[in-house]
Amino acid sequence: MNWFPIFYREILLFRRRLLRLGYVVSALFSPLLYLLAFGLGLGKRVAMSGGTYLDYLLPGLIAMTSMTNSYTWIATSMTVGRLHFRTFQVYIQAPVTAADIVVGQILAGMVRGLFASVILLVLGLFLGTGFHLNLMFLLVLVLNCLVFAAFGVIVGMKSRSHEDTATFTNFFIMPMAFFCGTFFPVDEMPWLLRDIIKVLPLTHTNRLLRFPFWNLESLESLALLSAYGVVCLVLGIIIIRRYSE
Amino acid sequence: MMNEMIVTDNLGKQYQDLVALDALSLQIPPGEIFGLLGPNGAGKTTTIKILTTLARPSRGTARIHDFDVVRQPLAVKKLIGVCPQEINLDRELTAFENLWIYGRLHRMPDLPARIAELLEFGNLQERAHSLVREFSGGMQRRLLILRALVSRPRVLFLDEPTVGLDPQVRRQLWNLIQELKLSGITIILTTHYIEEAEMLCDRVGILNRGRLIALDTPGALVAKVGGYVVETLNSGRRQYLLVRDKEEAYARAQTEPTGVIIRQANLEDVFIQLTGERLTN
Repeated sequence: MNWFPIFYREILLFRRRLLRLGYVVSALFSPLLYLLAFGLGLGKRVAMSGGTYLDYLLPGLIAMTSMTNSYTWIATSMTVGRLHFRTFQVYIQAPVTAADIVVGQILAGMVRGLFASVILLVLGLFLGTGFHLNLMFLLVLVLNCLVFAAFGVIVGMKSRSHEDTATFTNFFIMPMAFFCGTFFPVDEMPWLLRDIIKVLPLTHTNRLLRFPFWNLESLESLALLSAYGVVCLVLGIIIIRRYSE
Repeated sequence: MMNEMIVTDNLGKQYQDLVALDALSLQIPPGEIFGLLGPNGAGKTTTIKILTTLARPSRGTARIHDFDVVRQPLAVKKLIGVCPQEINLDRELTAFENLWIYGRLHRMPDLPARIAELLEFGNLQERAHSLVREFSGGMQRRLLILRALVSRPRVLFLDEPTVGLDPQVRRQLWNLIQELKLSGITIILTTHYIEEAEMLCDRVGILNRGRLIALDTPGALVAKVGGYVVETLNSGRRQYLLVRDKEEAYARAQTEPTGVIIRQANLEDVFIQLTGERLTN
Protein backbone atom coordinates (compact mmCIF):
# COMPACT_ATOMS: atom_id res chain seq x y z
CA MET A 1 0.00 0.00 0.00
CA ASN A 2 1.21 3.49 -0.85
CA TRP A 3 -1.63 5.66 0.45
CA PHE A 4 0.55 7.84 2.68
CA PRO A 5 1.58 10.53 0.13
CA ILE A 6 -2.07 10.99 -0.87
CA PHE A 7 -3.13 11.33 2.76
CA TYR A 8 -0.16 13.57 3.57
CA ARG A 9 -0.92 15.94 0.68
CA GLU A 10 -4.48 16.41 1.90
CA ILE A 11 -3.29 16.97 5.46
CA LEU A 12 -0.75 19.57 4.33
CA LEU A 13 -3.52 21.42 2.49
CA PHE A 14 -5.84 21.06 5.50
CA ARG A 15 -3.18 22.39 7.87
CA ARG A 16 -2.54 25.38 5.60
CA ARG A 17 -6.25 26.21 5.42
CA LEU A 18 -6.65 25.64 9.13
CA LEU A 19 -4.35 28.57 9.81
CA ARG A 20 -6.99 30.80 8.30
CA LEU A 21 -9.47 31.40 11.10
CA GLY A 22 -12.42 31.72 8.74
CA TYR A 23 -11.99 28.11 7.74
CA VAL A 24 -12.59 26.73 11.26
CA VAL A 25 -15.59 29.02 11.66
CA SER A 26 -17.10 27.83 8.38
CA ALA A 27 -16.57 24.17 9.29
CA LEU A 28 -18.41 24.60 12.57
CA PHE A 29 -20.86 27.31 11.58
CA SER A 30 -23.93 25.12 10.99
CA PRO A 31 -23.67 22.93 14.10
CA LEU A 32 -22.97 25.95 16.29
CA LEU A 33 -25.96 27.74 14.78
CA TYR A 34 -28.21 24.76 15.53
CA LEU A 35 -26.72 24.44 18.99
CA LEU A 36 -27.48 28.07 19.75
CA ALA A 37 -30.90 28.18 18.08
CA PHE A 38 -32.35 24.88 19.26
CA GLY A 39 -30.06 23.68 22.01
CA LEU A 40 -29.69 26.79 24.06
CA GLY A 41 -33.07 28.18 22.97
CA LEU A 42 -35.15 25.17 23.93
CA GLY A 43 -32.32 23.99 26.13
CA LYS A 44 -33.33 22.79 29.50
CA ARG A 45 -37.06 23.61 29.13
CA VAL A 46 -37.85 20.68 26.88
CA ALA A 47 -37.34 17.15 28.15
CA MET A 48 -36.37 14.46 25.66
CA SER A 49 -35.58 10.78 26.26
CA GLY A 50 -35.27 11.32 29.98
CA GLY A 51 -32.87 14.27 29.76
CA THR A 52 -32.76 17.88 28.58
CA TYR A 53 -33.09 18.75 24.88
CA LEU A 54 -29.45 19.88 24.91
CA ASP A 55 -28.43 16.40 26.12
CA TYR A 56 -30.44 14.92 23.26
CA LEU A 57 -29.25 17.36 20.60
CA LEU A 58 -25.51 17.36 21.12
CA PRO A 59 -24.72 13.73 20.09
CA GLY A 60 -26.90 14.36 17.01
CA LEU A 61 -24.98 17.49 16.15
CA ILE A 62 -21.70 15.62 16.58
CA ALA A 63 -22.94 12.91 14.19
CA MET A 64 -24.10 15.52 11.70
CA THR A 65 -20.85 17.48 11.92
CA SER A 66 -18.71 14.39 11.43
CA MET A 67 -20.85 13.48 8.40
CA THR A 68 -20.79 16.86 6.68
CA ASN A 69 -17.12 17.62 7.33
CA SER A 70 -15.82 14.19 6.22
CA TYR A 71 -18.05 14.16 3.16
CA THR A 72 -17.72 17.78 2.02
CA TRP A 73 -13.94 17.88 2.20
CA ILE A 74 -13.46 14.81 0.04
CA ALA A 75 -16.33 15.35 -2.41
CA THR A 76 -15.29 18.95 -3.07
CA SER A 77 -11.55 18.42 -3.19
CA MET A 78 -11.88 15.45 -5.55
CA THR A 79 -14.36 17.18 -7.84
CA VAL A 80 -12.32 20.36 -8.05
CA GLY A 81 -9.00 18.48 -8.23
CA ARG A 82 -10.27 16.29 -11.05
CA LEU A 83 -12.20 18.82 -13.12
CA HIS A 84 -10.58 22.18 -12.42
CA PHE A 85 -7.04 21.97 -11.02
CA ARG A 86 -6.42 18.50 -12.51
CA THR A 87 -4.28 17.53 -9.51
CA PHE A 88 -6.17 14.23 -9.28
CA GLN A 89 -4.65 13.17 -12.62
CA VAL A 90 -1.24 13.10 -10.92
CA TYR A 91 -2.44 10.14 -8.85
CA ILE A 92 -3.79 8.29 -11.89
CA GLN A 93 -0.46 8.70 -13.70
CA ALA A 94 1.59 7.63 -10.66
CA PRO A 95 2.35 3.99 -9.75
CA VAL A 96 -0.28 3.79 -7.01
CA THR A 97 -3.35 1.59 -6.97
CA ALA A 98 -6.97 2.70 -6.90
CA ALA A 99 -7.13 1.36 -3.33
CA ASP A 100 -4.18 3.60 -2.34
CA ILE A 101 -6.00 6.65 -3.68
CA VAL A 102 -9.27 5.76 -1.94
CA VAL A 103 -7.64 4.93 1.40
CA GLY A 104 -5.50 8.10 1.37
CA GLN A 105 -8.52 10.28 0.56
CA ILE A 106 -10.81 8.62 3.10
CA LEU A 107 -8.28 8.92 5.92
CA ALA A 108 -7.82 12.61 5.12
CA GLY A 109 -11.61 13.12 5.14
CA MET A 110 -11.84 11.31 8.45
CA VAL A 111 -9.23 13.60 10.00
CA ARG A 112 -11.25 16.61 8.99
CA GLY A 113 -14.50 15.09 10.24
CA LEU A 114 -12.94 14.12 13.56
CA PHE A 115 -11.33 17.52 13.96
CA ALA A 116 -14.70 19.33 13.76
CA SER A 117 -16.43 16.67 15.88
CA VAL A 118 -13.86 16.87 18.65
CA ILE A 119 -14.26 20.65 18.88
CA LEU A 120 -18.01 20.19 19.28
CA LEU A 121 -17.46 17.40 21.77
CA VAL A 122 -15.24 19.59 23.93
CA LEU A 123 -17.82 22.36 23.69
CA GLY A 124 -20.50 19.90 24.84
CA LEU A 125 -18.41 18.85 27.82
CA PHE A 126 -17.86 22.51 28.63
CA LEU A 127 -21.65 23.13 28.53
CA GLY A 128 -22.12 20.24 30.92
CA THR A 129 -24.08 18.13 28.47
CA GLY A 130 -24.46 14.58 29.70
CA PHE A 131 -23.46 12.14 27.01
CA HIS A 132 -21.72 8.81 27.28
CA LEU A 133 -18.16 9.28 26.12
CA ASN A 134 -16.71 5.79 25.94
CA LEU A 135 -14.80 3.55 23.54
CA MET A 136 -17.87 2.70 21.54
CA PHE A 137 -18.79 6.37 21.18
CA LEU A 138 -15.35 7.04 19.67
CA LEU A 139 -15.50 3.94 17.49
CA VAL A 140 -18.87 4.99 16.07
CA LEU A 141 -17.61 8.52 15.47
CA VAL A 142 -14.62 7.17 13.51
CA LEU A 143 -16.85 4.75 11.58
CA ASN A 144 -19.28 7.52 10.67
CA CYS A 145 -16.42 9.65 9.35
CA LEU A 146 -15.23 6.68 7.29
CA VAL A 147 -18.67 6.02 5.79
CA PHE A 148 -19.21 9.60 4.69
CA ALA A 149 -15.64 10.21 3.53
CA ALA A 150 -16.01 7.07 1.37
CA PHE A 151 -19.33 8.39 0.07
CA GLY A 152 -17.48 11.66 -0.67
CA VAL A 153 -15.02 9.72 -2.86
CA ILE A 154 -17.91 8.35 -4.94
CA VAL A 155 -19.51 11.78 -5.29
CA GLY A 156 -16.12 13.38 -6.03
CA MET A 157 -15.53 10.89 -8.83
CA LYS A 158 -19.04 10.94 -10.29
CA SER A 159 -19.71 14.69 -10.27
CA ARG A 160 -19.44 16.26 -13.70
CA SER A 161 -19.39 19.78 -12.27
CA HIS A 162 -19.25 21.60 -8.98
CA GLU A 163 -23.05 21.93 -9.20
CA ASP A 164 -23.36 18.14 -9.31
CA THR A 165 -21.63 17.93 -5.93
CA ALA A 166 -24.15 20.41 -4.53
CA THR A 167 -26.98 18.28 -5.97
CA PHE A 168 -25.66 15.14 -4.26
CA THR A 169 -25.40 17.13 -1.03
CA ASN A 170 -28.96 18.44 -1.34
CA PHE A 171 -30.47 15.04 -2.13
CA PHE A 172 -28.50 12.80 0.24
CA ILE A 173 -26.67 14.72 2.94
CA MET A 174 -29.15 17.46 3.84
CA PRO A 175 -32.21 15.16 4.23
CA MET A 176 -30.13 12.83 6.40
CA ALA A 177 -29.02 15.74 8.57
CA PHE A 178 -32.63 16.69 9.28
CA PHE A 179 -34.55 13.40 9.29
CA CYS A 180 -32.20 10.81 10.77
CA GLY A 181 -32.75 11.69 14.40
CA THR A 182 -30.43 14.63 14.81
CA PHE A 183 -33.08 17.02 16.10
CA PHE A 184 -35.98 14.74 17.05
CA PRO A 185 -36.59 10.99 17.42
CA VAL A 186 -37.14 9.00 14.25
CA ASP A 187 -40.08 7.19 15.87
CA GLU A 188 -42.18 10.36 15.62
CA MET A 189 -42.03 10.34 11.80
CA PRO A 190 -44.86 8.93 9.62
CA TRP A 191 -44.44 5.14 9.14
CA LEU A 192 -43.42 5.18 5.45
CA LEU A 193 -40.77 7.82 6.00
CA ARG A 194 -39.68 6.06 9.20
CA ASP A 195 -38.96 2.82 7.33
CA ILE A 196 -36.78 4.64 4.82
CA ILE A 197 -35.02 6.62 7.53
CA LYS A 198 -34.25 3.48 9.50
CA VAL A 199 -31.95 2.13 6.78
CA LEU A 200 -29.96 5.36 6.40
CA PRO A 201 -26.52 5.38 8.03
CA LEU A 202 -26.85 8.59 10.04
CA THR A 203 -29.89 7.17 11.85
CA HIS A 204 -27.68 4.42 13.24
CA THR A 205 -24.85 6.78 14.09
CA ASN A 206 -27.29 8.94 16.05
CA ARG A 207 -28.70 5.90 17.82
CA LEU A 208 -25.24 4.62 18.73
CA LEU A 209 -23.86 7.97 19.86
CA ARG A 210 -26.87 8.44 22.17
CA PHE A 211 -26.65 4.93 23.52
CA PRO A 212 -23.07 3.69 23.01
CA PHE A 213 -23.40 0.36 24.78
CA TRP A 214 -23.07 -3.21 23.58
CA ASN A 215 -26.41 -4.89 22.93
CA LEU A 216 -28.07 -6.61 19.98
CA GLU A 217 -29.54 -3.41 18.57
CA SER A 218 -26.18 -1.63 18.79
CA LEU A 219 -24.47 -4.55 17.07
CA GLU A 220 -27.03 -4.39 14.25
CA SER A 221 -26.42 -0.68 13.84
CA LEU A 222 -22.66 -1.17 13.90
CA ALA A 223 -22.92 -3.94 11.29
CA LEU A 224 -25.06 -1.75 9.03
CA LEU A 225 -22.68 1.20 9.35
CA SER A 226 -19.72 -1.06 8.61
CA ALA A 227 -21.53 -2.47 5.57
CA TYR A 228 -22.13 1.08 4.28
CA GLY A 229 -18.43 1.81 4.78
CA VAL A 230 -17.29 -1.32 2.94
CA VAL A 231 -19.73 -0.81 0.04
CA CYS A 232 -18.73 2.83 -0.44
CA LEU A 233 -15.03 1.97 -0.18
CA VAL A 234 -15.28 -0.85 -2.74
CA LEU A 235 -17.40 1.28 -5.08
CA GLY A 236 -14.83 4.07 -4.84
CA ILE A 237 -12.03 1.66 -5.76
CA ILE A 238 -13.99 0.29 -8.73
CA ILE A 239 -14.80 3.79 -10.02
CA ILE A 240 -11.17 4.93 -9.81
CA ARG A 241 -9.88 1.71 -11.34
CA ARG A 242 -12.17 2.30 -14.34
CA TYR A 243 -11.28 5.97 -14.64
CA SER A 244 -10.57 7.05 -18.20
CA GLU A 245 -10.71 10.47 -19.82
CA MET B 1 10.07 -4.80 -30.71
CA MET B 2 12.15 -4.68 -27.53
CA ASN B 3 14.56 -2.21 -29.16
CA GLU B 4 11.85 0.42 -29.27
CA MET B 5 10.92 2.40 -26.18
CA ILE B 6 7.39 3.16 -27.39
CA VAL B 7 5.32 1.17 -29.86
CA THR B 8 1.75 1.95 -30.81
CA ASP B 9 -0.22 -0.17 -33.23
CA ASN B 10 -3.44 1.01 -34.85
CA LEU B 11 -4.14 3.10 -31.75
CA GLY B 12 -7.50 4.89 -31.74
CA LYS B 13 -9.73 6.84 -29.40
CA GLN B 14 -13.33 7.77 -30.02
CA TYR B 15 -15.58 10.01 -27.92
CA GLN B 16 -19.14 9.22 -29.05
CA ASP B 17 -19.20 10.57 -32.63
CA LEU B 18 -15.81 12.27 -32.45
CA VAL B 19 -12.74 10.35 -33.59
CA ALA B 20 -9.98 11.96 -31.50
CA LEU B 21 -7.26 9.57 -32.66
CA ASP B 22 -7.35 7.23 -35.62
CA ALA B 23 -5.05 4.27 -36.33
CA LEU B 24 -1.83 5.70 -34.91
CA SER B 25 1.13 3.38 -35.44
CA LEU B 26 4.50 4.57 -34.15
CA GLN B 27 7.86 3.20 -33.08
CA ILE B 28 10.04 5.46 -30.96
CA PRO B 29 13.56 4.33 -30.04
CA PRO B 30 15.16 5.08 -26.65
CA GLY B 31 16.85 8.47 -26.28
CA GLU B 32 14.86 10.16 -29.02
CA ILE B 33 13.05 13.46 -28.71
CA PHE B 34 9.90 12.75 -30.65
CA GLY B 35 7.58 15.61 -31.48
CA LEU B 36 3.87 15.38 -32.10
CA LEU B 37 2.95 18.43 -34.12
CA GLY B 38 -0.52 19.53 -35.01
CA PRO B 39 -3.20 22.17 -34.49
CA ASN B 40 -5.56 22.17 -31.52
CA GLY B 41 -7.80 19.10 -31.60
CA ALA B 42 -5.39 17.10 -33.78
CA GLY B 43 -5.09 14.26 -31.26
CA LYS B 44 -1.76 15.14 -29.60
CA THR B 45 -3.04 15.32 -26.03
CA THR B 46 -5.24 12.26 -26.57
CA THR B 47 -2.12 10.32 -27.59
CA ILE B 48 -0.30 11.48 -24.47
CA LYS B 49 -3.29 10.60 -22.28
CA ILE B 50 -3.38 7.06 -23.64
CA LEU B 51 0.37 6.56 -23.33
CA THR B 52 0.34 7.85 -19.74
CA THR B 53 -2.64 5.62 -18.75
CA LEU B 54 -5.02 8.53 -18.25
CA ALA B 55 -7.30 7.43 -21.08
CA ARG B 56 -8.10 3.97 -22.40
CA PRO B 57 -7.84 3.51 -26.14
CA SER B 58 -10.97 2.54 -28.07
CA ARG B 59 -8.88 0.27 -30.29
CA GLY B 60 -5.30 -0.76 -30.93
CA THR B 61 -2.41 -1.20 -28.52
CA ALA B 62 0.33 0.89 -26.99
CA ARG B 63 3.42 -0.42 -25.24
CA ILE B 64 6.15 1.36 -23.31
CA HIS B 65 9.35 -0.63 -22.84
CA ASP B 66 7.23 -3.63 -23.84
CA PHE B 67 4.63 -3.05 -21.11
CA ASP B 68 1.06 -2.70 -22.32
CA VAL B 69 -0.48 0.59 -21.15
CA VAL B 70 -3.90 -0.97 -20.57
CA ARG B 71 -2.97 -4.37 -19.13
CA GLN B 72 0.20 -3.38 -17.21
CA PRO B 73 -0.47 0.23 -16.16
CA LEU B 74 1.54 0.10 -12.91
CA ALA B 75 4.67 -1.09 -14.74
CA VAL B 76 4.20 1.70 -17.30
CA LYS B 77 3.68 4.35 -14.61
CA LYS B 78 6.99 3.42 -12.99
CA LEU B 79 8.78 4.29 -16.24
CA ILE B 80 7.18 7.59 -17.12
CA GLY B 81 7.20 11.21 -16.04
CA VAL B 82 4.39 13.48 -17.16
CA CYS B 83 4.39 17.22 -17.63
CA PRO B 84 0.80 18.03 -18.61
CA GLN B 85 -0.42 20.97 -20.63
CA GLU B 86 -2.17 22.56 -17.66
CA ILE B 87 -0.13 23.49 -14.60
CA ASN B 88 -1.51 20.98 -12.09
CA LEU B 89 0.87 21.75 -9.23
CA ASP B 90 -0.57 22.29 -5.76
CA ARG B 91 -0.49 26.06 -5.57
CA GLU B 92 -1.02 26.10 -1.80
CA LEU B 93 2.04 23.91 -1.22
CA THR B 94 5.72 24.79 -1.55
CA ALA B 95 7.95 23.68 -4.42
CA PHE B 96 9.66 21.21 -2.08
CA GLU B 97 6.35 19.77 -0.87
CA ASN B 98 5.10 19.34 -4.45
CA LEU B 99 8.25 17.42 -5.42
CA TRP B 100 8.28 15.43 -2.18
CA ILE B 101 4.70 14.17 -2.60
CA TYR B 102 5.35 13.21 -6.22
CA GLY B 103 8.55 11.41 -5.19
CA ARG B 104 6.71 9.51 -2.47
CA LEU B 105 4.01 8.47 -4.95
CA HIS B 106 6.86 6.91 -6.94
CA ARG B 107 8.48 5.45 -3.79
CA MET B 108 11.74 7.26 -4.53
CA PRO B 109 14.56 6.70 -2.03
CA ASP B 110 16.69 9.56 -0.67
CA LEU B 111 14.17 12.17 -1.71
CA PRO B 112 15.62 15.33 -0.09
CA ALA B 113 18.90 14.90 -2.00
CA ARG B 114 17.06 14.21 -5.29
CA ILE B 115 14.84 17.26 -4.77
CA ALA B 116 17.83 19.49 -3.98
CA GLU B 117 19.58 18.24 -7.13
CA LEU B 118 16.53 18.94 -9.30
CA LEU B 119 15.84 22.38 -7.85
CA GLU B 120 19.43 23.30 -8.62
CA PHE B 121 19.10 21.92 -12.15
CA GLY B 122 15.98 24.03 -12.66
CA ASN B 123 17.54 27.04 -10.92
CA LEU B 124 14.80 27.11 -8.29
CA GLN B 125 16.85 26.16 -5.23
CA GLU B 126 16.26 29.52 -3.55
CA ARG B 127 12.48 29.14 -3.90
CA ALA B 128 12.30 25.60 -2.50
CA HIS B 129 10.15 26.62 0.44
CA SER B 130 8.03 29.26 -1.28
CA LEU B 131 4.40 28.58 -2.09
CA VAL B 132 3.87 27.74 -5.74
CA ARG B 133 1.13 30.37 -6.06
CA GLU B 134 3.84 33.00 -5.59
CA PHE B 135 5.78 31.71 -8.64
CA SER B 136 5.73 33.29 -12.10
CA GLY B 137 4.28 31.29 -15.00
CA GLY B 138 7.76 30.37 -16.24
CA MET B 139 8.86 29.17 -12.81
CA GLN B 140 5.73 27.06 -12.46
CA ARG B 141 6.41 25.46 -15.85
CA ARG B 142 9.98 24.70 -14.82
CA LEU B 143 8.78 23.18 -11.56
CA LEU B 144 6.26 21.08 -13.50
CA ILE B 145 9.08 19.61 -15.60
CA LEU B 146 11.22 19.07 -12.50
CA ARG B 147 8.35 17.24 -10.83
CA ALA B 148 8.11 14.88 -13.80
CA LEU B 149 11.83 14.16 -13.38
CA VAL B 150 11.76 13.30 -9.66
CA SER B 151 11.24 9.60 -10.36
CA ARG B 152 14.14 9.41 -12.88
CA PRO B 153 11.73 8.40 -15.68
CA ARG B 154 12.87 6.51 -18.77
CA VAL B 155 10.25 8.34 -20.81
CA LEU B 156 9.26 11.97 -20.29
CA PHE B 157 6.00 13.30 -21.72
CA LEU B 158 5.89 17.04 -22.28
CA ASP B 159 2.47 18.17 -23.42
CA GLU B 160 2.74 21.69 -24.85
CA PRO B 161 5.46 22.57 -22.32
CA THR B 162 5.93 26.17 -23.44
CA VAL B 163 2.37 27.18 -24.25
CA GLY B 164 1.54 30.69 -23.08
CA LEU B 165 5.11 31.59 -22.15
CA ASP B 166 6.99 34.62 -23.42
CA PRO B 167 9.82 33.96 -25.93
CA GLN B 168 12.63 34.42 -23.39
CA VAL B 169 11.19 31.91 -20.91
CA ARG B 170 10.41 29.55 -23.79
CA ARG B 171 14.07 29.57 -24.79
CA GLN B 172 15.11 28.83 -21.19
CA LEU B 173 12.84 25.78 -21.22
CA TRP B 174 14.22 24.66 -24.60
CA ASN B 175 17.72 24.74 -23.08
CA LEU B 176 16.45 22.67 -20.15
CA ILE B 177 14.93 20.09 -22.53
CA GLN B 178 18.12 19.93 -24.60
CA GLU B 179 20.12 19.31 -21.42
CA LEU B 180 17.72 16.47 -20.57
CA LYS B 181 18.35 14.84 -23.92
CA LEU B 182 22.01 14.45 -22.99
CA SER B 183 20.96 12.17 -20.13
CA GLY B 184 19.57 9.64 -22.62
CA ILE B 185 15.94 10.03 -21.61
CA THR B 186 13.26 9.47 -24.27
CA ILE B 187 11.09 12.54 -24.65
CA ILE B 188 7.68 12.79 -26.26
CA LEU B 189 6.81 16.39 -26.85
CA THR B 190 3.61 17.82 -28.23
CA THR B 191 3.59 21.30 -29.62
CA HIS B 192 1.99 23.54 -32.16
CA TYR B 193 5.03 25.80 -32.28
CA ILE B 194 6.99 25.15 -35.49
CA GLU B 195 10.25 26.54 -34.13
CA GLU B 196 10.02 24.35 -31.04
CA ALA B 197 9.56 21.17 -33.04
CA GLU B 198 12.36 22.06 -35.46
CA MET B 199 14.80 23.00 -32.72
CA LEU B 200 14.20 20.17 -30.27
CA CYS B 201 12.92 17.10 -32.08
CA ASP B 202 14.88 14.29 -33.68
CA ARG B 203 11.73 13.18 -35.47
CA VAL B 204 8.33 14.71 -35.86
CA GLY B 205 4.93 13.13 -36.41
CA ILE B 206 2.36 15.51 -37.84
CA LEU B 207 -1.20 14.89 -36.68
CA ASN B 208 -4.30 16.34 -38.25
CA ARG B 209 -7.88 15.50 -37.23
CA GLY B 210 -6.66 12.45 -35.32
CA ARG B 211 -4.59 10.98 -38.16
CA LEU B 212 -0.83 10.81 -38.55
CA ILE B 213 -0.20 12.43 -41.92
CA ALA B 214 3.60 12.61 -41.92
CA LEU B 215 6.50 11.19 -39.94
CA ASP B 216 10.21 11.88 -40.36
CA THR B 217 13.04 14.14 -39.22
CA PRO B 218 12.18 17.85 -39.50
CA GLY B 219 14.80 18.25 -42.24
CA ALA B 220 13.52 15.31 -44.27
CA LEU B 221 9.91 16.47 -43.97
CA VAL B 222 10.84 19.92 -45.22
CA ALA B 223 13.00 18.46 -48.01
CA LYS B 224 10.09 16.30 -49.21
CA VAL B 225 7.96 19.36 -49.97
CA GLY B 226 10.82 21.49 -51.28
CA GLY B 227 13.56 23.37 -49.52
CA TYR B 228 12.43 26.94 -50.28
CA VAL B 229 9.26 28.96 -50.38
CA VAL B 230 8.44 31.79 -52.75
CA GLU B 231 5.76 33.98 -51.20
CA THR B 232 3.93 36.29 -53.54
CA LEU B 233 1.17 38.82 -53.10
CA ASN B 234 -1.58 38.26 -55.65
CA SER B 235 -4.70 40.46 -55.56
CA GLY B 236 -4.13 41.12 -51.86
CA ARG B 237 -3.77 37.41 -51.03
CA ARG B 238 -0.47 35.84 -50.03
CA GLN B 239 0.39 32.73 -52.00
CA TYR B 240 3.07 30.16 -51.23
CA LEU B 241 5.05 28.22 -53.80
CA LEU B 242 7.35 25.43 -52.62
CA VAL B 243 10.46 24.91 -54.76
CA ARG B 244 13.40 22.52 -54.58
CA ASP B 245 16.32 24.96 -54.12
CA LYS B 246 17.41 28.57 -53.94
CA GLU B 247 18.16 28.83 -57.67
CA GLU B 248 14.67 27.71 -58.59
CA ALA B 249 13.28 30.17 -56.06
CA TYR B 250 15.20 33.07 -57.66
CA ALA B 251 14.07 32.00 -61.10
CA ARG B 252 10.42 32.00 -59.96
CA ALA B 253 10.87 35.36 -58.25
CA GLN B 254 12.03 36.89 -61.52
CA THR B 255 8.59 36.27 -63.00
CA GLU B 256 6.79 38.16 -60.24
CA PRO B 257 6.47 41.93 -60.61
CA THR B 258 6.67 42.89 -56.91
CA GLY B 259 6.26 41.85 -53.24
CA VAL B 260 8.17 38.59 -53.45
CA ILE B 261 9.69 36.92 -50.38
CA ILE B 262 12.09 33.99 -50.64
CA ARG B 263 12.67 31.97 -47.48
CA GLN B 264 13.59 28.47 -46.35
CA ALA B 265 10.65 26.11 -45.98
CA ASN B 266 9.61 24.98 -42.51
CA LEU B 267 7.22 22.51 -40.92
CA GLU B 268 4.36 24.96 -41.28
CA ASP B 269 4.82 24.75 -45.05
CA VAL B 270 4.83 20.97 -44.80
CA PHE B 271 1.53 21.14 -42.95
CA ILE B 272 0.01 23.53 -45.49
CA GLN B 273 1.19 21.31 -48.34
CA LEU B 274 -0.35 18.22 -46.73
CA THR B 275 -3.64 19.67 -45.52
CA GLY B 276 -4.22 22.96 -47.31
CA GLU B 277 -4.61 24.60 -43.89
CA ARG B 278 -2.32 26.62 -41.65
CA LEU B 279 -0.96 24.98 -38.52
CA THR B 280 -1.03 28.13 -36.43
CA ASN B 281 -3.41 31.06 -36.44
